[in-house]
Amino acid sequence: MNAPFDLILREHAMNEKSEKKKKVKTLTKERVDLQKLSRIMSGGLSLAGQSAVRTDARRKVTGTQLYGADYAPDGFLHGKILRSPHPHALIKSINSDKARALPGVVAVLTAKDIPGRNGFGAIIPDQPVICEDKVRFVGDGVALVAAETEKAAQEALSLIEVDYEPLPAVFDPREALKKDAPKIHEKGNLLSYNKLRKGDLDKGFVQAEVVLERTYQVPFLDHAYLEPDICMAVPQQDGVMLVEGPMQAPFTVRRNINAVLGVPINRVRVRQIPMGGGFGGKEDSPIDLGCRAAVLAYRTGRPVRMSLEREEVVLQTCKRHPMIMKVKIGAKKNGSLVAFHGVIYDEQGAYASLGPIIPPAGGSHIHSMIMMAGPYEIPNVHVDAYLVYTNHPYGGAMRGFGAPQVHIAHEQIIDELAVQLGMSPLDIRRKNGFRKGSATATGQVLDQSVGLLDSLEACAKRFDWDRKYKNRGYVDEQRTKRRGLGVGMGWYRTSIGTGGDACGANVHVHEDGSVLLFTGITEMGQGSYTVLPQICAEELGVCLEDVRYVTPDTDIVPEAGPTVGSRSTTLMGNAIILAARQVKKSILEAASEILAVPADRLEARDRNIFDREAPGRGITFKEAAAKCMATGKRLIGQGWWAPPTPSLDPETGQGNPYFVYTYATHMAEVIVDVETGEVAITDYAAAFDVGKAINPRALEGQIEGGVAMGMGYALMEKIVTEAGYIQNLSLRNYLIPTALDVPGIKSVIIEVENKYGPYGAKGIGEMPNIPATPAILNAISDACGGRIRTLPADSESVFRAIQEAGGPPDK
Amino acid sequence: MKKVGLSFNVNGKEVDLEIHPNTMLVDLLRDTLRLTGTKEGCREGECGACTVLLDGLAVNSCLIPALKAQGKSVVTIEGLAEADGQLDSLQQYFMTEGAVQCGFCTPGMILNAKSLLERIPDPDEQEIRHAISGVLCRCTGYQKIVDAIKAARNDKGQTPQG
Repeated sequence: MNAPFDLILREHAMNEKSEKKKKVKTLTKERVDLQKLSRIMSGGLSLAGQSAVRTDARRKVTGTQLYGADYAPDGFLHGKILRSPHPHALIKSINSDKARALPGVVAVLTAKDIPGRNGFGAIIPDQPVICEDKVRFVGDGVALVAAETEKAAQEALSLIEVDYEPLPAVFDPREALKKDAPKIHEKGNLLSYNKLRKGDLDKGFVQAEVVLERTYQVPFLDHAYLEPDICMAVPQQDGVMLVEGPMQAPFTVRRNINAVLGVPINRVRVRQIPMGGGFGGKEDSPIDLGCRAAVLAYRTGRPVRMSLEREEVVLQTCKRHPMIMKVKIGAKKNGSLVAFHGVIYDEQGAYASLGPIIPPAGGSHIHSMIMMAGPYEIPNVHVDAYLVYTNHPYGGAMRGFGAPQVHIAHEQIIDELAVQLGMSPLDIRRKNGFRKGSATATGQVLDQSVGLLDSLEACAKRFDWDRKYKNRGYVDEQRTKRRGLGVGMGWYRTSIGTGGDACGANVHVHEDGSVLLFTGITEMGQGSYTVLPQICAEELGVCLEDVRYVTPDTDIVPEAGPTVGSRSTTLMGNAIILAARQVKKSILEAASEILAVPADRLEARDRNIFDREAPGRGITFKEAAAKCMATGKRLIGQGWWAPPTPSLDPETGQGNPYFVYTYATHMAEVIVDVETGEVAITDYAAAFDVGKAINPRALEGQIEGGVAMGMGYALMEKIVTEAGYIQNLSLRNYLIPTALDVPGIKSVIIEVENKYGPYGAKGIGEMPNIPATPAILNAISDACGGRIRTLPADSESVFRAIQEAGGPPDK
Repeated sequence: MKKVGLSFNVNGKEVDLEIHPNTMLVDLLRDTLRLTGTKEGCREGECGACTVLLDGLAVNSCLIPALKAQGKSVVTIEGLAEADGQLDSLQQYFMTEGAVQCGFCTPGMILNAKSLLERIPDPDEQEIRHAISGVLCRCTGYQKIVDAIKAARNDKGQTPQG
């Protein structure tokens, strides 16, 4: 996320010829010694690997955890956004005289009031803070209001007169690519075209004995985090603008606000408030709210609070990208995959958000392209990926960042292929799945931590696949309900694939043995405020409760990049280890002086430092810390860790985009009512190679929640639009799974050590969400004979698919 | 609009207030009484984050006019623990079973579970799932929440210290 905008824009130019083809290098080994070091002390790990209770659990069960909306609003102006009622229109004029005259209204701002750049965006600042001459989706901001009360602000919105000239709009990426399509942005509607070229595709399809072609389509999805967005901007006495709110990426928010205010980065301070859910959505929406609240605070000189209602959240914030995915796959009769061609029409909506590329391999679109051929070794692969503007709301990050969509394509077509070949869905995956030494579609050789097939076997065992497989078919005498099984495999990166993936951490130890841990990794529910202190405490040899995690504040914590990409535990974990070690050195020196034992014979665990050769002989961590303070030894550690440098050739899509991957296999059992199309998930198992589970219970929580979200994607979730207008702005008609929809989930954790990870760990946050959807879709197909290629698989779609397949099987 | 009197019991304390008759219970609790443990996710009774106990029954406080609490007792998440800080066993097991992630649904989940266990001391899994089905959780997949409620159900006064 850290590449300067000019670089991004240059790389982004459509017709630019890339430099000559670069050779794929293997990953550098420059940082491997970290792992070795982390084992030096170890007589086994003390805290890493323990299911510690969350550090914030007590606050959350007693109602004392403060979320953004719980801060007292006294003294704040209330900010509101006037939104476009048109999907595409010119703004001819705006008259805000009546609104300004309303008692209680302090400011009504239009585009001319923006002090700096009138644009924000996580990658490209193409979204106006306040639209000047044109609106591009229903919900675009055309004016901002600040008033003494929320009511006055709301009323002021209705008094602003905007004269629009509606323009023709476009809502389908394929239509938007046509020459005569309405032009949404100056540079045209094609935001990005990317390609991947491995092997010789034509030759591959000539070799193939079976070829299948399919099209899969997925809709916009809403994150449906329970906490609506809120942001507070508070001008400080020293001229700094403080912006606070629930957010995943404080540094990205700061980088946008400083440009919008036209001030240097160090004049903006951004502070995170722990979130009531994020799932990728709060990487993006706080940029939008933060810039707007900051502009209102800047112009009024007063604190401004902007909070969104549920419908505004759905209207205004990013969604999971919809895609139309065409896949052609070729295989030998023995099941070996020989050729794969994917075409992705990736709908960006009105603004770039997190869609476009950050070189070499950042941005959701390029990630979709890289992942599209699945975790399978296929010698000949082409992917052509189009990222296209439309007049819909915009696509952003959502738990899997472009990977869930393409998994729905590759996991279904491989199942369809298995049926054609008369193979079991497990055997075709066993035959082609990644193992150590496999080359991915980008030509990356996976030389370590590849537990994909281990996850398949472990999942099959836990799920009891073989026995269940024999019991498929009708479950009732009337032959109305039919049981089926499905499998979904997946892979996901642990990083963002850009140069800006580094993490910094500071560790401060005090003379009483208490510790402050400073990082920029945010808490959205995933557990970073517990797992990261666990790593810190493990490394220092103290207890978890000794470490206080400082709430991320860009004035205080070192740069960390965003809390995305399943990167926090692994990348920040490494930075924390490096920081802790600097202090640990002092601690052991002090203990060595007190005990008169060489420092390399000392071990620190659970607040004690003792002689490994005479464990009875030792002092407390606190005594050593006090000695350091008294003798001027360093008690501040600073760690910095960046993953091996990513690479991806823009012409061929070949390279090492991400340094390590997590792997998973999911298995679902469903019962489909073949007369109504109703689906019930009756059993579920999911196995993950996570490298190392730092907190197994928290990890299971990620698995169970991710699977539930994947079930929603499969069975019920869809943002419905009609001519650019969202039809389901409420949780009444945008349905997510309830406790009655989600069955018990059997989790299996496999640890195939990642040599680049803290204690061998790699990412988990997004992975569970990804193979869940195709596992369920495959099970539905197995049960009812129909195939759902356009999501979601609601009863009506399943019913239709059964009819299209010629009616229920064996009837 | 003319204010009217409202007397009710909140978390064991008698409260007398003058309120606008159209005040919703959630706003009274959060804005006037500053009991912000009660969360607001949708304001239309869909998410259940604003659940409180009204005379022991779980209700969505965003759908209840505050005047409906006249003469009744309201328990919010802040009122569940004992005065000495001893947590309710549901709170304890939500911590130790890992039922909490972002925490935004947690008050609603715990209060729905509390109401369930008051009505049915020994609910089965389906009854538990049914009781919390009005509260949405996007983080946990509900499994550890169900586990925590089962553990509280099975607890015979031996609450773990978390």
